[in-house]
Order: sequence, then structure tokens, then C-alpha cells
Amino acid sequence: MTAVIECRGLTKRYRGATALAGLDLVVEPGQVFGFLGPNGAGKTTTLRILLGLVTATAGEARLNGRRVPDPSGLAQVGAMIEEPAFYPWLTGRRNLQILAMFGRHLPARGDAIVAALDRAGLAFVADRKVKTYSQGMRQRLGLAAALMRRPTLLLLDEPANGMDPAGIKEFRTLLRALADDGTTVFLSSHLLAEVEQVCDQVAVILAGRLVEQGTTAALATARACVRAALDPADLDPALALLASWQARADGPDAVLVETSDGRAVNEALGRAGIWARQIVLERPKLEEAFLELTEPELTEPELTEPELTEPELTETPEVGHAPAAR
Amino acid sequence: MRLLPGELRPPRDEPQRGELLRGELLRAEIRKLNRPLSWGVAGAAALFCVLLAAGGAHNASLEGQSAALTHLPSCTQMGVPPGPRCARAEVLERARANQVREQPARTAAQLNPLAAGAEAAGLMASLPGVLALALLAGAHIGGEWSGRTVKNLLTQQGRRWRVLAAKLVSLWLAGVGLIVICWTALAIGGPVLVHLNHLPAPHQSVAHALSLSGSQVARALLVLAAFAVLGVLAGVLTRGTIGTTAAVAGAAIAMLVVASLPALGTWTPATWVQAWMGFPAGQASITSLPTNFWSRFITASGAAPGHLAGLAGLAALLAVCWAASVLAFRRMDISG
Repeated sequence: MTAVIECRGLTKRYRGATALAGLDLVVEPGQVFGFLGPNGAGKTTTLRILLGLVTATAGEARLNGRRVPDPSGLAQVGAMIEEPAFYPWLTGRRNLQILAMFGRHLPARGDAIVAALDRAGLAFVADRKVKTYSQGMRQRLGLAAALMRRPTLLLLDEPANGMDPAGIKEFRTLLRALADDGTTVFLSSHLLAEVEQVCDQVAVILAGRLVEQGTTAALATARACVRAALDPADLDPALALLASWQARADGPDAVLVETSDGRAVNEALGRAGIWARQIVLERPKLEEAFLELTEPELTEPELTEPELTEPELTETPEVGHAPAAR
Repeated sequence: MRLLPGELRPPRDEPQRGELLRGELLRAEIRKLNRPLSWGVAGAAALFCVLLAAGGAHNASLEGQSAALTHLPSCTQMGVPPGPRCARAEVLERARANQVREQPARTAAQLNPLAAGAEAAGLMASLPGVLALALLAGAHIGGEWSGRTVKNLLTQQGRRWRVLAAKLVSLWLAGVGLIVICWTALAIGGPVLVHLNHLPAPHQSVAHALSLSGSQVARALLVLAAFAVLGVLAGVLTRGTIGTTAAVAGAAIAMLVVASLPALGTWTPATWVQAWMGFPAGQASITSLPTNFWSRFITASGAAPGHLAGLAGLAALLAVCWAASVLAFRRMDISG
């Protein structure tokens, strides 16, 4: 299957600053793909290169198998880059009409615009001037503009900024529906909880490079650790016993072991005659995994929170992984 | 965000016929020009023309009255000894007096509804026109960067030169619209002003009036194109509303300053405009109702270029500015 987005060694240097430093990224079609990274990591630059707004210094990027910049290919791409801006003296509908006139011919333009406004929940203010819109309404108008051509690929940069909670929920439902219908959604966002709920896969970039890519569940599981509660007297022997996994003390009566295999930890302790009072698999949320990936100088105890649901219910040696959140 | 099941599937293999609908871009740009600033500029231009015409008609009326009371000075009064020099001086004085005496009729002719097109074209092909286009270019071109809307356009239309061409043509059409508005304002206000100031009937044929207007309006089209391309270049280079307006206005003033330099005059864009439009240079351009606000800043000394040289110069200016604009815009990163 041809990748919808493919970046190979994508590099962008501005005067004295490197925005992208050899980014490699592959996005398969028909999914919601989260693109994460701290401020200045190169997310928006990547989107701009994909859209032909910015020229890469080195490397190459492909959209739908075609090397960018690809003016003809833009008709299949809907985009919303950063805070969307429109002509304030025109109505929302007129703004979309103008944008539609700029691109490839849009059959039944009026109907397509009405449908896009309706989908974005803006039909009731479509004939109001954009200068009277709230930020959330402008975001929705940006979304309508991106959806107007029924694209095969949606590139969205912080699309939920300024939206109210109900709007964010509707937006999440819309993205899932689009992906289920075969549209690939490439979503750059800081709302990690939203990303975790809606994305099939995520990529994390830092300083212009890909640092991790995978499903949200895999990303979190990769950072899972086992917390074993022990008698204080057993702490030191346990640390010595579990050293091969990189274990460390977590208070006077617990060890944290960097593995997701609770059964193995329990077995190792049991074989040495150390009986844990409780063994819990701590699986960080996406936000914590993200912070760990992008702020490596922070210590792990500061980053992880125990999952209070499944592990707390059991003192069994093995704790199953929570199902992938969507 | 209401979901419309079944409507979300994207069209995968749609025909590309719309790709060639160049006119759509231009129509879109013209729709964008329908904004308060454009109407404000149009209103200001119309008001300026009417006020200028009112002042001109009043001046002509006063000059006519003073000419009727003035007697030709004798050679003794002029300090010229009798003889051939005296005769020449008397001829010149008589010509000047006739010119002053005919001023009211000439002004009335300028304000004839059919001939007023020449006045409107002259004004728009000179400083008032370039300043009006500077304002429009600032909003229409530089404003795309200031308002951060340029990225929207380029994510729809990746062929940047087309976007720029639509902007250029729409800006030029706005200039043409200003000529039409000024002509209309003068055609309505002119006869009223002629009547109020008791200016004599100019005895001007319809054919002459139309030919004068047609010729000047046609010439002004090229000058407006040059002003518009200057606006496009300034917009692309400065990437902001204020920067674009200031750059175009500054460039126009710089052109006039450079044109006043005796050595360079013939080779500057301002002189090409003057030559192409046929504006009289220096003091000769100052009349009761000025035909332009351009050539009075240009010295009459030195060999002025002819119409053809003016045409060639303006065409070259247009081509160079356009090429520079396209080149800069195509290479530019859109990061705002």
C-alpha cells in the first residue's frame, strides 16, 4: 500500500536555525495519525513543506506518492495550518467560495460549501461576516475549508484550539468518521488526551527528528514499569536481584522495575524467597510518554502515575495490558 | 460538526477541467476587492476630482475676469527698446494674454462630460493614482501576509504565479475602475461647476472630446499597469500592508525626485510616464485645472523622450517588475 505521507531525510534550515534535521516519517492511509512534539520541534514546518509553502533544504517528501511541491496534488489535500485566517470583511460562506475559486474546479461548488459548513457546525452563521466570529468559529471555518474538497488527506495543525468541549468532542467524532471512510487525517496537536483518544498511530518529533512512532498503546507500553511493594527488609536484596532490569527504590518499601513483564518480576522475586505484597504494572498515559520522550532530563518518578483501575484490583503476579485507548 | 454519512468519501478521480479556469482566480480576487477600503479609496478619488475641478473652475473664472481688465504692456513698460525685439516681445505678450483669456473656455472644455475622461485618466496616471493604488496594493497584496491569508490561497492553488497574476490584473482593474469613477464624478460635477462659475461654452466637438478622452484613458491603462506591478512587487518584497503602501508611495516619490535630476531625467520611469501620457513638463503643466500631478516635478530642460520611448520604458519597467515579483514569490517560504 502506498504511503500517504513519506518523508526521507527531510531537512529545513533557516538562517542559523535548523527546523528539521533529517526527518524520516511514513504515514499509511486511512488512519488518524497524531504528530506530536514540543514547541519548535518542527511540526508546522513539516506541514508547510508537505503543502509546498516552504521548500526543504534537503531530503524529500511525498504526498500520495508524488514528490512535493506538487500543485496538482493539492486538490486531494485539505489543510488547516495553525490558527486559520480569513478575510474579516466577508462572510464565512463568501470566504469559502473565494478559496474554492482558487483551487481546482469544485463541482457543485455551492452544495459542497453548504455541506462543509454543515459538517463544521457553522451553517447557522455562514452568512455572518468573519470579523464577528469567535476563535472557535474561525477554527470551524478553517475545518470547513479543509473539508470542502472532500480530500483524501487532511493535514491539521492544532485544529481544536479555541473550541469548546462540545466542539472538541464533535471534532473527534468527525475525524474518526473521516478515517473510517478512508480519509487519512494527519493531526498535529498539543491536546495529548485528544490525540490519545482519536489517533491510531502517533509520531513524536524532537529537534526536527523522529524520536518515536507507533500506536498510542505501544508508545505507552514501551514505557511501562512494574512496581513491586515489599517489606522494607526485602528492599535491598530485591534491588540486587532485579538489577538486570534497571530497578530502583521507590520509597522504603517498593521497587520500580523497567519492564512490562510483571510475571517475570514476580517469578524472580519468588524464586529468591521474596514475596511481594503487591505487583502493579504502571503504564504511563500518552502525555507522560510524550514528556518522557521530549524531556529526557526529568526523572521517571515525576512522569509516571499509577493506573488506578486494573492494577489496584489485583495482587496477582501478572497484570495484563490495558486495551489500547482510542 | 454534523456528520453526513455517505458524503464524506472523497472524489478520487475527478476530471481536471477546472485546472484551466484561470478566470476563477481573477473573479475571486475581484470579489476580495469588494471591501470598505476599496470603496473608501474610490469615494476619496471622486471627491478629490470634484474638489479639484471646483478649484480649477474658480481659478479659470478669476483668470478670465482679470484678463478682461488687463491691457497689454507697452515695450517701454516691459523695458524693451523699440525695434524687432519689441515686436517679438509684443507678440509673446499677446499670445500669453490670449492664453489667459482662453483659460476659462479651456477649463470648461476639460470639464465637458465627454472630455472629462482625459482629466480622470491624467489624474489616475499620476501621483493621485499611484497613491490610490499604493493603498489598494497594501491591503490587497501586502494584506495577504499581514492577515496571514496567503497560506490559505497557496494551499488551494500551488502555482504561485497564477495567484500573483490574478492579483496584478485585479489591482489594475481597480485602477481602471478609479478612472471610471473619476470620469463619472467629473461628468456629473463638471457642467454644474461650469455653470456656477459662468465659464464660456468651449465649442468643442463631440468627436474631439471623445478622441481626447479615449486617447488619454488608453494611455493611462499602461501607466496603471506599471503602478499595479509596482504594487505587486512591493507586496511580495515587503510582505505587509503598511510596508507595501509605503514602498509604492516611496518609489513614486523617488521616481519623481530622480526625474528632476538633469542628467538622469530622460532615463527614469517618471519621465517615461510623462512622455507616454504626453504631459507638458515643468511650469507648462500648471494651469487652472491641472491635467496631472506628475510632470510639474519634472524639469522641462533636456531632450524629453517621445511617446515611443515612453512606451518602451514603461513596458520594460512592467516586464522587469513582473519577473522579479514572480521569481521572489516562487522562491519564498510562506511561514507567516
